[in-house]
Formats: sequence, C-alpha cells, structure tokens
Amino acid sequence: MLRNLRPKANVMLCGVLVAALLLLVGTAALAAKDLPPIKIGAAGPYTGDVSKIGLDGLNAIKMAVEEANAAGGIGGRMIEIVEADDAADPSKAIIVAEMLAMDRNVIGVVGPMNSATVQAALPTYQRAGLAIISQSATYPKLTEMGYNIMFRICPRDDAQGPAAARFIVEELKAEKIYIIDDKTTYGQGLADQVEPALKAAGTEVLRGQIDMADRDFSPILTRVKAAEPDLVYLGLANPAQAASLIKQAAGLGLDVTFMGGDGLKEKDQLIDGAGGLAEGMYVTSIGKDIREVPEAQAFIEKFEARYGAMSVFGGQSYEAANILIDAARRAAADPMAINRNNVREAISKTSGYEGILGFPIGFDSKGDVVGASIFVYQVQNGEFVPVAEYSASVSGN
Amino acid sequence: MEQLICQIPQQIVNGITLGSVYALLALGYSMVYGVLRMLNFAHGDVFMVGAFTGWGVLMLFIKEGQVALPMLVLAVMVLAAIGATAVLGAAIERFAYRPLRGGSRLVTLISALGVSIILQNAAMILTAGRAKTIPTELLIPQDLVIRFAGATISATRLAMVVVSVITMILLDAVVRKTKLGRAMRATSQDSEAAEYMGVNTSKVIAVTFIIGSALAGLAGVMIGLYYTQVDYMIGFSAGMKAFTAAVLGGIGSFRGAAAGGLLLGLAESFGVLIAPPVYKDAIVFAVLILTLILRPSGLYGKPSASRA
Repeated sequence: MLRNLRPKANVMLCGVLVAALLLLVGTAALAAKDLPPIKIGAAGPYTGDVSKIGLDGLNAIKMAVEEANAAGGIGGRMIEIVEADDAADPSKAIIVAEMLAMDRNVIGVVGPMNSATVQAALPTYQRAGLAIISQSATYPKLTEMGYNIMFRICPRDDAQGPAAARFIVEELKAEKIYIIDDKTTYGQGLADQVEPALKAAGTEVLRGQIDMADRDFSPILTRVKAAEPDLVYLGLANPAQAASLIKQAAGLGLDVTFMGGDGLKEKDQLIDGAGGLAEGMYVTSIGKDIREVPEAQAFIEKFEARYGAMSVFGGQSYEAANILIDAARRAAADPMAINRNNVREAISKTSGYEGILGFPIGFDSKGDVVGASIFVYQVQNGEFVPVAEYSASVSGN
Repeated sequence: MEQLICQIPQQIVNGITLGSVYALLALGYSMVYGVLRMLNFAHGDVFMVGAFTGWGVLMLFIKEGQVALPMLVLAVMVLAAIGATAVLGAAIERFAYRPLRGGSRLVTLISALGVSIILQNAAMILTAGRAKTIPTELLIPQDLVIRFAGATISATRLAMVVVSVITMILLDAVVRKTKLGRAMRATSQDSEAAEYMGVNTSKVIAVTFIIGSALAGLAGVMIGLYYTQVDYMIGFSAGMKAFTAAVLGGIGSFRGAAAGGLLLGLAESFGVLIAPPVYKDAIVFAVLILTLILRPSGLYGKPSASRA
C-alpha cells in the first residue's frame, strides 16, 4: 500500500521500463519476463464420450503454444492457455464460453470442437467480440448466421455430404442406402446433407434414428436387415458407438458395407473398438491424413512421442492454434495493444497460411475455410487408407 | 408390410434376449421391495458396477489382443462381477439403509437415490466419463450365429437367455424349497410376525440384498458383452426398465418380476416394429404408465388392501 503513495514515480518507472523493452529488439526471450502474458482459450470436450478427440486437440494446442513461447511468444508476451471443458454438452459450452468471455486477457479461442457446442456458444462469443476458430465443427449453418467471430478450418457438411454421396454412387455403385443418424447437430446435420445428394443421384434412401445414449442397436439393425440395403451410412458423432453398432450388426447376421463421416475417423475407438469388423468400412475426412504431408512429420513425431497415437483432430487443433497465434502477432505493432477486435480482424485477413494440413489456409467472408478437400478413406488391414479426394468448395459459396 | 412381417421372428429373439436381462434385474428389485417395502433406486447402478467389473477382469486377461481360454475368462468375469456386486450390495444395505430402518420409507428412498448418485459419479470420475469397449469377439465369436425361421440368434444372445433362465429356476427353487426361502417369504409377508416366530429378519434382509445385487452383477456382465460397451450411465435406463418390469409383474412377486421382464422386453421389441426405433424407451415407459392406470398391482400382484 505504501508504495502506491507515489503513483507518479511508478508511472515514470513503467515508462522507462517500456522504453527499455522496446530497445531490446531481438532479445524477446529476455523481455518476455517483464511483459504480462496473453491468453488464448481452448474449448472442447475433455471429459465424456468424445474426450479422446478433445484431449488430442488440447495436447496439440499445448504443443503449438509451447513452441510459440519458445520463439518469444506474441511480441514478447508469453501465451497461456485457458482450458474450457464442455464435455460436448451444449449447455456446458455456454457456461465455459461465458468464463472465457469474462477474462479480458483472453484474445481468441481455439474450438469448440462439436457442431452442437459451437452453435450453442456462438451468441456468447459474439457478444464478447471474442473470435473462435473451430477445428472440427462442420455443420453448415454455423457460418450462415451472421456472426463475424466464427471461423473454421474444416470444410462444411454440405461439402462432405455430397462428396460422400458421389463416392457411394460413382465408386461403390450402391442403389439402396440406409442412413442412421444420432439426432445430434453434427450427426443428423451430416445425414441431412447426404440424403438429398443420394436421392438426386437416383438411389433409394431409407432413414432411421438412434439416440446418443443408446447401447442396444438391435431394434434399428433388425429394420436395416429387413430392408436389405447395399450400404449403411452412419451419421454418428461417437466412434465408440459406431464400433458397437457394427459389432451388434455382425451378431444379427447383417453383412453390409458401412460408411460414416469425419467424426468416426478415429483408429482407437472405431477400428480397434470394432475388433476387426470395421474392415472394409469407408469414412470421409475433412482433411488429408497429415501423415502424408511432409511439413507435418516433425509435429506428428513429437506429438506421438509424448501422447501416443493421434486422431485427425490433433493436426487440425495444432493448425487452428497456430493460425490464432499468427493472427495475434499480426494484430498490432505494439504487443500491449493486442485486443479481441484486432485479433478478429487479423484472423479474417489470414490467407495462404502454410501449416501442416497440406493446403494453404484462408477464410472467406463468412469465416469458412477456402481451398480444403474432402477425402474418402477405407479401413484396410486395421488402418485408414485414402481412396478418393473431392474438392470441398460449396456451390454458391 | 412384407418387410414388417419378416422382421417379426428377429424381434421376438431381440425381445427375449432383452427380456431375460430385464427379468434378472427386476427380480433383484422385487426381492428387495418384498422384504423391505422400499424401492432400491441404486439397483441399476449396482448393475453398472457389475458390467465394469466384467470389463476390468477381461482387460487383465487380454495379452497382445488375444485371450487364452476364453471360457475360463468368461467364468472368472461372471464370478468376479457377482462377488463385487454382492459385497457392494451388502455394504449399501449395511451403511445406507440399515441405519434408517424403522424410519419413514421416504428417508430410505432418498438414501437410495443418494447411493445411486454416488456410484454414478464415482464411475464417471474413474472412467473420465468415457465408454469402455468390451471386446466380446475375443470371448465369443460375433459371427457364430444360428439362423432359424428368418431370425439370427448369436451365441452371445443364446448364452444370455440360457444363463438367465437357469438362474431364475435356481432362485425359484431357493425361495420355494429352502429354509432361507421360507424366511424370506415370511419376512416379505409380515416382517414383525416373522421376527416373533424366530426369523432373524435383519439377516434375511441382508441376504436378500446380497442375492439381488449379485443378480444385477450377473446381468451387468451379460449386457456388457451384448452391447460390447459399458459406460457410467447404463445403470440409469436399466434401473428404470427393471423398475417398470417389476411393477408390470407385480412388485414383490418373484414370478411376476420374471414375467414382467420378459413381457417388457417383447413390448419394446414389438413396439419398434411400428414406432421409430428411437422411441424404444418411450414405449417402455408407456407400458409403466398403462400398468399403473389399469392394473396398479401388476400381473401377479395381490390387491394392496392388506398392505397398509
């Protein structure tokens, strides 16, 4: 308290310090000790059914931040991560968004990861003017609702759905398709994109629904079996549930090809979880397997040495975090002047960002990624093997 | 229409499989209600603990993605789950219900809800809320099936039904033929009079809890193998369904619980022939409401006049 009796001296001292720091060009690491840290939010499901993808994402964000800090942070300010666990639950997503919004030092957020959590939390982030970069929320409407803080580096389901439909019709020559979804924003949303594209191609489509909490799939599978489809399309968000469904299908003597969306492309839970029965199944993916991208090799090696096998969202999260950090570095010349508004501006101006995803990233006026592709993978000998690639551009976009 | 008819044999099989598990669970519910006149809402969560115990044992025996002696491992899983849930049941009775005996029934009911919440949350924390996959295929080949009249009966299903039926027959014999069974029936009819006749009702109640919980543990292992997955919430819906089955059969009645379970399983399976499968749980609770309106004492229940 006594010190505050001489405020003028303090202001002067600060001024001298800042001046001294500005002189320390090129020795950012030294200066970092004296500048206040800057915070980024990391929102995603770190507990619950889909926590595997969430924790992979969080670990990747941590790696991106560590590397950025080792390189001097943002203009000398060290980056701190504020973890925001939403457990893939929309109501929790709003609460953690509120928490991030209240902390004025948070200048941007990586995540949330699920379409439903993004949708629920968007109004909160918009009110706070806090930009979010989702690595995996593919529901088309998210960037169509007029929020200027929404960005995503994954292509939308209205690119993924039709690409899946094209593959089913052109490559697999299926004529009768049974679509099962799980009533979630993502699962049902993706199924709603696949269905019209399949119908437009002249195939017969049947639909059925399950609940995310369901563990017994014999009722729906009995129906599927009676319908004798050529292919079953799974609009499911939880790869463990899909694995369980595939195993129960075998128990019912249902021999059919399965296909699913990017949410199911998870080796541990889908391929290993189904105990060999996922063999031959197809999934679409919203990004290239980064194992095939030369620039990503160092990241993958480091990640897997520390955290074990990585799912697709590890790379996506690392990239999203790096884009946010890159934008913050461009946001203002003076690191102390970085705020939510100029970070959002800087993110929107991102273009041709060369990271580890294998294509230059930029955003269109809605916040959707440009230049991405949809890939189709097949499970062969317990691994996802790429079998087709389609452009992810959406007509009218 | 043709599609509907060709689903019927399979839905009968589905219904019987599910019904046999509901019946095992409902038996535990009904037995406890019989001797204590209380609804043991923690029953479903004891079932969940059984399922997780089975999973844990299986994980111990998996070496390089294989299991040696699958039949033996299955037996160990079942015995471990029964043992764990029996101990858990005894502990719940001793620490959560016995101190409250003699008090209002509402108090024990609330205590039961408390136990349920504790078990669910403990399991959630221990598993980080993630579903655990049970590699059933290592124990029972998933494509080992019998095809019969348009239905496919997998070995897992067949084993579930056989084990359930044998267990229920044994239990029926215990209740009807043994001294313990007589004491249980006496306590169930009038615990005060039973006590005057020299029945140690406290012991009978404890044993009933242990048997009921062990049944839930057995059901848990079987459901885990059937669903090929367990998570901390499976006890909730299973508990509600067992309760419905017990009410449908006439709560407190042994044979009623078995019949109620089977009927409920069949109702659920046949319901989804007409209604979308996503409504399968709604069908179960519609059955509960209809039972309560039309025949509150259930199929085998006696009118409740004698039970004040």
